[in-house]
Amino acid sequence: MAGYKHLETLRELVTLHGGPGFEHQVRDRIRTAFSEYTTDLRVDTLGNLIGVVAGEGEGPRPRILLSAHMDEIALVVSRIEAGGFLRVVQTGGFDPRTLVGQEVYVHTKEGRYLGIVGSKPPHLTAPEERTKAAPLEELFIDIARPESSVRKLVQIGDRVTLARDVYSLQNDRLAGKSLDNRTSVAIILETLEVLKKLRHTADVYVVASVQEEIGVRGAATVGYGVNPDIAIAIDVTFGDFPGQAADEGFELDGGPAISYGPNLHMKVFRHLTAIADREGIPYQVELSQGPVGADARAFQIARAGIATALVGIPLRYMHTSVETGAYRDIVACGRLLAQYIADVDAATVEDLSCY
Amino acid sequence: MLLKRLSEAMGPSGFEDEIRNVIREEVTPLVQDIRTDVLGNLLVKHGVDKPGPRVMLDAHMDEVGLMIVQVCENGRENGLLKFRALGGIDPRVLVSKPVFIGEARIPGVIGAKPIHLQAASERRKPLAMDQLYIDIGARDAKEARSLVKPGDVAIFATQFGEIGEGAIKGKSFDDRLGCALLIEALRESYDLPLFGAFTVQEEIGLRGAQAAAYGINPDIAIALEGTVCFDVVGAPSHGQSTVMGAGPALTVQDGQTIADRRFLDFMIHVAEKHDIPYQLRRVKGGSNDFGAIHKVRAGVIGGGISVPVRYIHAPAQVASLDDFNNSLLLVKAVLREIEQGGFSL
Amino acid sequence: MKDLITRLAQEIAPSGSERALMLQWMQELKAVADETLVDTLGNGIATKRGEGPHIMLAAHADEPGVMVIDIDADGFLRVIAMGSLEPAELVSRQVEFTNGVRGVIGLEDGVKLADASLNHLYVDIGANSREDAEKRIQIGLGGVVVQPLYELAGNRLAGRALDNRVGCAIAIAAFRELAAACRHVTLALTAQNAVGGRGARTAAYQINPDLALIIDAAPASDVPSGKATALSLGKGPAIKIMDGTAIVPLAVKDHLIAAAGTLGMDVQYEVWPGGKSDAGAVQLSVDGINIGGVSYPARYVGATQTVVDLADVENALKLVLEAAKTYEVR
Repeated sequence: MAGYKHLETLRELVTLHGGPGFEHQVRDRIRTAFSEYTTDLRVDTLGNLIGVVAGEGEGPRPRILLSAHMDEIALVVSRIEAGGFLRVVQTGGFDPRTLVGQEVYVHTKEGRYLGIVGSKPPHLTAPEERTKAAPLEELFIDIARPESSVRKLVQIGDRVTLARDVYSLQNDRLAGKSLDNRTSVAIILETLEVLKKLRHTADVYVVASVQEEIGVRGAATVGYGVNPDIAIAIDVTFGDFPGQAADEGFELDGGPAISYGPNLHMKVFRHLTAIADREGIPYQVELSQGPVGADARAFQIARAGIATALVGIPLRYMHTSVETGAYRDIVACGRLLAQYIADVDAATVEDLSCY
Repeated sequence: MLLKRLSEAMGPSGFEDEIRNVIREEVTPLVQDIRTDVLGNLLVKHGVDKPGPRVMLDAHMDEVGLMIVQVCENGRENGLLKFRALGGIDPRVLVSKPVFIGEARIPGVIGAKPIHLQAASERRKPLAMDQLYIDIGARDAKEARSLVKPGDVAIFATQFGEIGEGAIKGKSFDDRLGCALLIEALRESYDLPLFGAFTVQEEIGLRGAQAAAYGINPDIAIALEGTVCFDVVGAPSHGQSTVMGAGPALTVQDGQTIADRRFLDFMIHVAEKHDIPYQLRRVKGGSNDFGAIHKVRAGVIGGGISVPVRYIHAPAQVASLDDFNNSLLLVKAVLREIEQGGFSL
Repeated sequence: MKDLITRLAQEIAPSGSERALMLQWMQELKAVADETLVDTLGNGIATKRGEGPHIMLAAHADEPGVMVIDIDADGFLRVIAMGSLEPAELVSRQVEFTNGVRGVIGLEDGVKLADASLNHLYVDIGANSREDAEKRIQIGLGGVVVQPLYELAGNRLAGRALDNRVGCAIAIAAFRELAAACRHVTLALTAQNAVGGRGARTAAYQINPDLALIIDAAPASDVPSGKATALSLGKGPAIKIMDGTAIVPLAVKDHLIAAAGTLGMDVQYEVWPGGKSDAGAVQLSVDGINIGGVSYPARYVGATQTVVDLADVENALKLVLEAAKTYEVR
């Protein structure tokens, strides 16, 4: 897997830890990555990282926002039980069945401690119990220390994230945790890399947003604060897998999925697909019938409304520690967005309000 | 006829092009200023620039509908279309209904296995949406794809018409009746800054109205709606919501709003003063655009005026012309009273 | 503090019916505030301009209740819940409406309580026809389930609406003290929390402070089989880590912990994914508002009466004051 500009950045990003409201470590790394392309960087009240890459020419210039949420699904310590076992609640949607036997990190004031999500050995499990999946409330985390030591180290409210190395699979595919949505951060970086060589009049606001996994909260305030002409959310979608409906799974290596539906501006959608066709970039169309589960949901209705798009790569095993995606899709999506940005001018923006 | 044009126009949530064009044609001669915003809301300005309350009348253009998501290719599904709902549709009303698909209005029918071939136990179970198909008569996927593509939207093929005594039937009375009220209200002029918002995407979360209200920044807003009416056999008083023929329905609360009692009392006062019958909507839940509008910025005072609609969100809906006409009288009377300073902020 | 709580807790103000209570309190606070208003949604807002960062003290003033939605031919009322009230909480209880009319809540014959929904309940106000009922009641009228306020042993209070009139009392007392100290502070007694933080949203839009402190109840789980949180009564106020509406920024959480440290005060930590405070509505207003939360533990949150410990309440007030006075905009 050589020759990809930001592959190593992504491999690093998916081993960093950042749940909703706990994104600082990831944000610091992204800030370093963004600073290769702009020095105009700021962090808003909620913690969204906002970088501006200025366009050419006299203003007013079109303003395009690209957002990739940087938070990952995480857990929060809610109780410390007798014996020093930790109970947790979730920030973001886990399938508790995927947590059993999982290694995790507990992030405390004193540092980070490895823990295991405990499971009952089969020897002690009655046959009827084996057919039942335990809910999150029944799971516990064991950091293998005596209760007195746990109570000294761990405080209620401490965050817990998945511990998982990143794996290189065949065909430039990566597997690991938090590819949802750090792959989209890599898309922003690949976009900026292509954009360096292109001329564009639009000011580009690159945003690593916070708290998407608990209800697109960062997007609500960054949409209001930046109030761009066009907001493009970049987020992963479902990779094709047996048992999924035809319109709910997308091929890995099939190019980015471009979303279509009420939440997405029809003209931006058509413009994106036209650019992809022109540039020979493969893409797939994802249909939606209501507000989407991504930053675009909040962007569209910020202030008096924003023209919104949603693109992203397909990912298998979403919201597990082995999320799997293809770097080739990231590169294709970066090319698409850069070429799109270069094609937007003042007339494009004016046309968005003409129905 | 305005109601027929509005009722039969196509405009599922997010795909309001046809209905928007119809409304634009109707209102352009009536107003000083007309524009669309970036979400597709059709916004008009009517009345005068002067200090005093900025009044926003709202009616949503969109209707519940279907989106084609797959042209089936294999075996006995070959050439049939899979679909999903745009907005809240009870799948039980879909079986055996004709639909029109896309701008070209390709006709199709929603099919089901004949009753003869169903076991008694099967017949008692409602069919889920993913068990249903739209059949446009195509022989195979290739032919179907030449006419329809995934992402195309479909509406019920219901014709508007009169029914019974003083009643009308048709599709999408929610909220084409509201659109008609707003258009009719704009035929008169008012001595106040009046804004009309024909909004998009109400059925999927009051989304157009939120952005429209932020942009207009009104002092007073009134949502004009078609609302739930179930005054039918077997429904107890508290299960009816509204009664057809009993006049425009005012909201005391719904899923998104607790009525502002000051404005509600004002509307009641206006109705009584002008001898216009009215009723209070008696149901938990549901919502209209005012739910989004009243929470915008520092909050907006106002309420809703609704025409009772039987079988709302189903293919064939019924409403009373008297209710419609009385709703219009009430809307205009409320505007006149505001104009004359009858409601102080 | 107890007197203030008692006074506040006696008022009836279910969601959507807060205006009368707010008008009364804003009138009273005119003496110490530069500006007071009761806004469109029914929030009571009092501002004192002064030194330092602009601190908003937010406490919801509404309580869960019922609203009349139908009157039948025989004069029985049907009600819906404003906020989450289970039928089991209501059956055979008395309801008092905001106009003082009382009634008894009945359950339709033949319906088991376990299967009952609000649709199966009715209110008997002693009327014998619709016309008779309409003389005393109108559709849309709000009411609450009557529960007297009692002092329990151990400096504890039990009663209706303690959630969140206790928070209002803390916020009012803190506002008075910060105003007297010439700080820049705004009190927001918010409306319509029980139906989804509606008042807090429009209040925060107008106030747009440097920091908002949300003062509300959090469930104490030191009861048989208690599990909702790790909080206990009497072990100190709870610093909000997260609830169902918001995650508190780490910097604000640390500031509150430091303030408690300065006071040498024992505190607890609130992790309550089911909680529906005003925090989220405030946090997501405009381009984002810094929030923190100081909660007082309360048993039976969500039921028609709760139990609080007055020592926790006093300490919550001290913590709010210390945190407000020492906050600096970064």
